[in-house]
Amino acid sequence: MKNLFLFIGLFIALNVTAQTQYQTGMQKAFSLWEEGKMTEASQLFERISTVEKDNWLPSYYAATLEILGSFGLKDEAILKAKLTKAQDFLDTAKSNSENNPEIIITQALLNLGYIAFDGQKYGMILSGKNSQLYAQALAIAPNNPRVILGNAEWNMGAAKFFGKSTKPYCEDIKRAIELGKEEKIDIEFYPKFLLERAEEVLKQCEN
Amino acid sequence: MRRIVCILFSICQLSLFAQTTISGKVTDSKNNPILGANIYLDGTYDGTSTNEKGEFSFKSTAKGTQTLVVSFISFETFIKTADVSLLKNLQIKLRDDVNSLDAVILNAGTFEAGEKAKVTVLKPLDIVTTASALGDVFGAIQTLPGTSTVSEDGRLFVRGGEAEETQIFIDGIRVFTPYAPTANNIPTRGRYSPFLFKGITFSTGGYSAEYGQALSSVLLLNTIDEPDQEKTDISLMTVGLGVGNTQIWDKNSLSVNASYINLAPYQEAFPDRNKWNKPVQSANGEMIFRHQFKDDSMLKLYGAFSYTHFDVIQDDINFTDGFHFGLQNRNLYFNASYKNKFGDNWRIETGFSFTNDQSNLKIMEDTVDANENSAHFKVKLYKQFSNRFKISFGSEYFATNFDENYTEISHQKYKYGFDNNLFASFAETDIFFSKNLAAKIGIRAENSSLLNEFTVSPRASISYKSGENSQFSLAYGQFYQNPKNDYLKFSQDFKAENTSHFIANFQHTKNNHIFRIEAYFKDYQNLVKYDSEFANFNSNFTNNGNGFAKGIDVFWRENGKIKNTDYWVSYSFLDTERDYKNYPIAATPNFVSKHNISLVAKHFITDLKSQIGFTYNFATGRNYTNPNELGFLNNQTKNYNSLSLNWAYLIDQQKILYFSVNNALGTKNVFGYNYKNTPNAAGNFDRQAIIPNADTFFFVGFFWTISNDKKSNQLDNL
Repeated sequence: MKNLFLFIGLFIALNVTAQTQYQTGMQKAFSLWEEGKMTEASQLFERISTVEKDNWLPSYYAATLEILGSFGLKDEAILKAKLTKAQDFLDTAKSNSENNPEIIITQALLNLGYIAFDGQKYGMILSGKNSQLYAQALAIAPNNPRVILGNAEWNMGAAKFFGKSTKPYCEDIKRAIELGKEEKIDIEFYPKFLLERAEEVLKQCEN
Repeated sequence: MRRIVCILFSICQLSLFAQTTISGKVTDSKNNPILGANIYLDGTYDGTSTNEKGEFSFKSTAKGTQTLVVSFISFETFIKTADVSLLKNLQIKLRDDVNSLDAVILNAGTFEAGEKAKVTVLKPLDIVTTASALGDVFGAIQTLPGTSTVSEDGRLFVRGGEAEETQIFIDGIRVFTPYAPTANNIPTRGRYSPFLFKGITFSTGGYSAEYGQALSSVLLLNTIDEPDQEKTDISLMTVGLGVGNTQIWDKNSLSVNASYINLAPYQEAFPDRNKWNKPVQSANGEMIFRHQFKDDSMLKLYGAFSYTHFDVIQDDINFTDGFHFGLQNRNLYFNASYKNKFGDNWRIETGFSFTNDQSNLKIMEDTVDANENSAHFKVKLYKQFSNRFKISFGSEYFATNFDENYTEISHQKYKYGFDNNLFASFAETDIFFSKNLAAKIGIRAENSSLLNEFTVSPRASISYKSGENSQFSLAYGQFYQNPKNDYLKFSQDFKAENTSHFIANFQHTKNNHIFRIEAYFKDYQNLVKYDSEFANFNSNFTNNGNGFAKGIDVFWRENGKIKNTDYWVSYSFLDTERDYKNYPIAATPNFVSKHNISLVAKHFITDLKSQIGFTYNFATGRNYTNPNELGFLNNQTKNYNSLSLNWAYLIDQQKILYFSVNNALGTKNVFGYNYKNTPNAAGNFDRQAIIPNADTFFFVGFFWTISNDKKSNQLDNL
């Protein structure tokens, strides 16, 4: 019995070592992310992207982390430096995967980073661009839950600004949640649908 | 079983032995440790981040020659290639990234607007939401320091210079006739719609060697590279209507817009002081085509056509039946520009522009037909050797052909004109000694075939960052400009007019405020003089004039400190005298005010979905000559005051209602006095005040944007 356990243990261990360096690296980066070590996670994605030159995922995640880290910044110099770096990663991702709806909506998220910092300075140019980006992503992937949710959130922001009801977008969010639950992902480390976040957005919408 | 475990264990041990440890310490240029820098061997998964002491250590199985990369935001990436065994106990100093937002800026004399600028004095929306500007680029620029309020003219008068001393460029290519024609006392507007531009640089002195033939100032307008979406814009205004459309396909985009202005209904409702035989009518069309090539290179074709027509009789003390002036003007402008990157950090920018301007004027009973053809060709090369050292150089050719026919009432005809061709070359270098110290040094050489003259003008500026938010700059430059067309058409025996600028600037910027103060001195030489009342065929022209201008410009802007409120204040002090034209002595010209103040404020009221704003302008009195007293330019008008208001109401996301009132208080401003040519019975000269055609101007517009996303609006067109 004891031997059997050891055997199973070894088998798992061997299985782990049978993983590619890419898988180990990505898993480590995600666990750093979960621990809240954003910088380390982003840097690891950056290192992976320098090896996996044809894979869009590592630079996509490196960009996402830099963008998320830029929200709430007060110093424009740091904001610009971070978002410029994120843009470089995103451009790398784009060159590996053209017309990818995940990358397109991340570009919109990056633009939102600028708009959130100074709407007057960046809003005029970037908000029109964002609407265009969501339209483009929806055209490519009409049933992608992340695209539907992103588009709905973006429209809700504008509706709130103009004092209009956000109700029309609740349906979209519900649809995104359903699609998100059903979604089958066959590419390893493909972006996941964040159900909890979607439910939070739905609450905001119904209020 | 135990044996297997043992073997496995020793394999692990072995592989540990084959690893190399890479270690060291990362600091900034002042030896402060850097926390969180990313360190890795290029092309491997091996790497780590530095700790709070800046130290790092990681193991790698890589062998032989490897490249170590150290990167951190706001620093230049460090790269070292060596045998992996030598990458131990490294002392790595990262150099500051001089391109980052908090690096020193070479900015003496220059204001930048747009999202690309490091320090933005005007945001893109400001051009169109500033009360008093009425959607005109030049109107918005006139709220910046260094400009004089000459509100009966509308053109840019910068630091004691005449309006002709400012040159305007679109995408680096010269615009020869930027202003729409008007009658006396009616302020002009720019010909080009402001929403075509994404960035504006306004330099009030000391500018780059790339720009010449401008004694006082250059205004650089850059058109949008990529429109954000397809849309149709419709505008209905009290003065006319407009329509615009943008199409995007593949890597191309085309924007067209057309407008028709007719002031007849407005003048019927609010009669002004003139008698309009034919009220102002104008038709304008613009189109811009952009094509983006694979490698970020870009081709832009821009064309604009405008037609203006009016006929007016203006009250004039010297003409009992009034002064009759009629105008018909056709203007065509075409501009093509291309930019591309090539080789090892090289960039090329090239383009040309062509202008044809035809005017038929009626001045009392005389007629004048003028025809101007101008062209500009330019090529500029740019090489970046490193982040810290860049050079640019190029050549350009300006050609102007001007012909005028003057027909007197007696049918006596005069024909005259000139060809003004000029070749110029320039070279310039930008050097960053550190993140805190930078310099720009340039030289420009020009050869004018009309004046048969060769000139060389050096330019230099240096900036030093003295603190986290503050910096000092100095600039010097020599500037040459051929005499204006009004003189060249009568004589070509001239030298180029010349000025030297000396500028000292201090700037303090923080997140939500900008403060800058700039002192300058300008020395004018070789200004044109003549000996008649007006420049004409019989005048004797010389280049013996001279003058100076000195002053202080102050700018303060704050955003959001008061919620939803944005405001800026400009103050200009100007002391200038010139001995030019037909001046008997050196005197302060009549377009100059000693003190100029503008205050612009905007406030967004979320509940009302409205932006309200005001602009207040103040200028001290301007000189005029009273022939009843001794002397020249011996009197001063009263001070100028004007308060303008605007209100933009967002009916919904795509419809805007816009109201504005210029000089809402109806202040009676006086720009000068016109004296009778002959004295009255008592031996005195009677006079007439030069005043605006109407004290107050109202504008109401409705703007509707139709686009797929149902969200854009024309706030940016206002």
